[in-house]
Amino acid sequence: MVGNGTLLSVENVSTHFFSEEGVTRAVQDVSFSIQKGKTFALVGESGCGKSVTALSIMRLVPAPGGKIVGGQIVFEGENLSALSEKQMRDVRGNKIAMIFQEPMTSLNPVYTVGNQIVEAIRLHQKKSTGRAWADAAEMLRKVGIADPDRRVREYPHQMSGGMRQRVMIAMAVSCEPTLLIADEPTTALDVTIQAQILDLLDELQKQNGMSILLITHDLGVVAERADDVAVMYASRIAEVADSRPLFAEPLHPYTQGLLKSLPRLGLSDKRLRTIPGTVPEPLHFPGGCKFHPRCPIGFDDKRCQTIEPELREVRPGRRVGCWYAPGYETKEEFKEYESKYGEHKSVPAEC
Amino acid sequence: MANTNRCLLSVDNLKTYFPIRKGLLRRTVGYIKAVDGISFGIGAGQALGLVGESGCGKTTVARSIVRLVPPTEGKVVFDQVDVLSADRDELRELRRQISLIFQDPFSSLNPRMTVGNIIGEPLKIQKKTASREVTERVAVLLSKVGLSPGHINRYPHEFSGGQRQRIGIARALALEPKLVICDEPVSALDVSIQSQILNLLKDLQEEFGLTYLFIAHDLAVIEFSCDIVAVMYMGRIVEQAAAEELYRNPLHPYTSALMSAIPQVDPSLRGRRTALGGEVPSAFNPPAGCPFHPRCPSANSVCRKQMPALEEKSDYEGHFVACWRKGQ
Amino acid sequence: MGWWTRGSHLSEHRKILKTEQPKGRSLWKDGVRRLRRRKLAMVCLAVVVLYFLLAGFLYLAELFDWQVGPIRWQQEVGKSYQPPSRENIFGTDIFGQSVLRKTLYGAKISMTVALCASFISLAIGVPLGAIAGYSRGVVDEIIVWVYSTLSSIPYILLILAFAVVLRDKTLFGYKLTGITSVYLAIGLTSWVGICRLIRGEVIKHKNREYVLAAKSYGSSGRRIIFKHLMPNVFHLVIIDFSLRFVAFIHAEVILSFLGLGEATRPSWGAMINDARIELSRGVWWQMAAATVAIFFISLALNIFGDALRDSLDPKLRIQ
Repeated sequence: MVGNGTLLSVENVSTHFFSEEGVTRAVQDVSFSIQKGKTFALVGESGCGKSVTALSIMRLVPAPGGKIVGGQIVFEGENLSALSEKQMRDVRGNKIAMIFQEPMTSLNPVYTVGNQIVEAIRLHQKKSTGRAWADAAEMLRKVGIADPDRRVREYPHQMSGGMRQRVMIAMAVSCEPTLLIADEPTTALDVTIQAQILDLLDELQKQNGMSILLITHDLGVVAERADDVAVMYASRIAEVADSRPLFAEPLHPYTQGLLKSLPRLGLSDKRLRTIPGTVPEPLHFPGGCKFHPRCPIGFDDKRCQTIEPELREVRPGRRVGCWYAPGYETKEEFKEYESKYGEHKSVPAEC
Repeated sequence: MANTNRCLLSVDNLKTYFPIRKGLLRRTVGYIKAVDGISFGIGAGQALGLVGESGCGKTTVARSIVRLVPPTEGKVVFDQVDVLSADRDELRELRRQISLIFQDPFSSLNPRMTVGNIIGEPLKIQKKTASREVTERVAVLLSKVGLSPGHINRYPHEFSGGQRQRIGIARALALEPKLVICDEPVSALDVSIQSQILNLLKDLQEEFGLTYLFIAHDLAVIEFSCDIVAVMYMGRIVEQAAAEELYRNPLHPYTSALMSAIPQVDPSLRGRRTALGGEVPSAFNPPAGCPFHPRCPSANSVCRKQMPALEEKSDYEGHFVACWRKGQ
Repeated sequence: MGWWTRGSHLSEHRKILKTEQPKGRSLWKDGVRRLRRRKLAMVCLAVVVLYFLLAGFLYLAELFDWQVGPIRWQQEVGKSYQPPSRENIFGTDIFGQSVLRKTLYGAKISMTVALCASFISLAIGVPLGAIAGYSRGVVDEIIVWVYSTLSSIPYILLILAFAVVLRDKTLFGYKLTGITSVYLAIGLTSWVGICRLIRGEVIKHKNREYVLAAKSYGSSGRRIIFKHLMPNVFHLVIIDFSLRFVAFIHAEVILSFLGLGEATRPSWGAMINDARIELSRGVWWQMAAATVAIFFISLALNIFGDALRDSLDPKLRIQ
């Protein structure tokens, strides 16, 4: 799906962690692409590998121990994996910027907010200190902080969580990056502040034309703000699609289960639908399809238990990794299944 | 309140202030009014939800009720016993009848104790039960919350977040309490596990006839789990109603803003966004009059000067609002 | 009986309890397992154990009168100040005694002093720290005041003062010999560090939710301190113990240097003390032997202590 409007293309990236306990395959064979000016959401629960994917794009995987073992990342036509560390530093903060979940620990508590923004500015742009400080105050104003000239000299602990996140955003967009990676930017914030921050990101996106890679576990946020979505489960992508079709018709049983299990305002449910079992730990992933122990179709299916389904495009613009997704199986595979295991499981209408 | 159910817990004008001490002599320079006049009642077998954002005081309410935090003023009556003036023996008995479930599955279990000991300790302390019987009861509790009794010698870090929360629930049920206070029981859990735990809590309520005080910041979770919902802001209840009624007809501007800020998956459920600007003001220096007025789209001069009281809206029975504009 | 019998399949549970009960993997076991993997740390542990065994053997020899050493060390038995040779690997001292023998004997005193001092400082510091951290308020302020004052006095002066005062006094009917006063002095002045450490950790853990939970079902303060908080801060005690041990061995040296140690029996501190004069006469082997002995136990304990901290620290665990 690499077209002219593609800003970032992640191709078969795998990232593993090596420790004395064993190999943790945090990200396996992940591929997706982000279009210019659009918001791409990477959704999944804890341990699915979404944060590690983001760090892999920035080549900030914690070492020793972590290593990108396969695939490549192409940004604005350039292969990031082939760059030297020095060249990568020019990209980070300048062309690709990142904001994190916990602003209190991502901001240095012993420097004023202004100091930190100025450092980010001067790292990539040749500006005098005076100009940089003026720019910093202007950035604070742009991200909606009142009284920016006073705030710019404050320390992070003097600010509320929402304001600190705005400061992080100001630092991130100060050099006008083309891609902003937001790793759970609003998870630690109240829901009313979350709405403000997401509105701010929308605003900035419109102004600068930058793309956003939004990493989150909140499906509501994804549905309202993202253009394209990839759902991750246990180090792999389960399905990729445009946002509206994904929520209108989820094809992977995991996505279906997630959507059905959310408590929704205004619909008086007596009991919630659930996905049984627990999210698997990276050191003990199940064999075959990683979701099969919890899947209504796959838990007793020999093929799902042994062979991992790869991502396939079943419709234009929709990729899924599930044997029983409509349009996934080829005729040969259908016949092979029948000859090997006997009666073929048809996909029930309602999972 | 519903008059058909016997009122199990009644809270009347509860206030919990934390003094701020400064200077060498540690003089009290002011107060953080974490809870500033809360009143509500829960009938036996009901579930009341306290919902609000961070800093609104909902966790402090829970801890004040069981005197884990000393309240400053007010009255709490549980099953006809005055909690705040109870002596040591009465308090001990109350600690048996009211139990808590905590938010963080990682820090609410002692990492150095086995699961069996964690769940069994309340029994050993309160009932002086023989150890074989304790083991059996722990086994029963583990199966009630959906875990195998064979796990009894395992340690908390060998379990996932959802399983740990189940252990916490089992511990809360060990003494057969009448009231269970659930302080954000699912906020720290993965989405696919939240629904399991919420279902479990509902099932347990039915099976054992429990009464819940449910605290959360997620309106959808509260609406699913509770019969009555009270919305808190800056230490006060600003609106209270039956769950469906509150959703259908929010009267307080904060409630509407809260609801509209929640991102919805289903486009048909998204209402008009009433964007809420500004931040929650500092609890040390709350604004005069109605605490919400600086952010309220419909505040007028009365709102800025006088604090509105929580009153029943005349046309809707059981629906209380603290607002001068009363749903205009 | 209430809930327990209502449809609860007690017999099935009894069956499960009798058969399938896998032993849990406690955090301690995890830590020990991690420690065992570090080969260097295990070697260092072996060295430490060796020193302890040597000291223990010498105690037994004294108890059972095994005649492994001279009765009196101040007896002229040979030519003084012989340099290291094939006969005496480390040479001889002023009385012609084998320096090697003196060094080995010195282990007994150093290990004893360090061990006893450690126990005394732990016995004082840990409970005080736990009580201070848990109760806050007036009790905390008093304890903090006490140890702040104590730690503001120069360490050497304090030890000197204690040692001089305790010398030749009797405690519970026991005459306080040289080394007893030494380790009492060291122990009584060195508890501040562990006290501060424990207090800090207790304050941190005090507000964790599992402590709150214990309070909510009626745990008493004492139970919370001993059953809940102590097990969670105890790993610090062990780490501190291993690192402090080195400091106590060195303290013994310093005290001997100042003339307060054991006079009649050989100790490393006394050997180094004697070396002050001997060096001017070109006699270096007594000091070298004592220094080498101290160096290896210190190195081993330092490395082991660091490895211990890395293995037992909960923050480094994979959640």
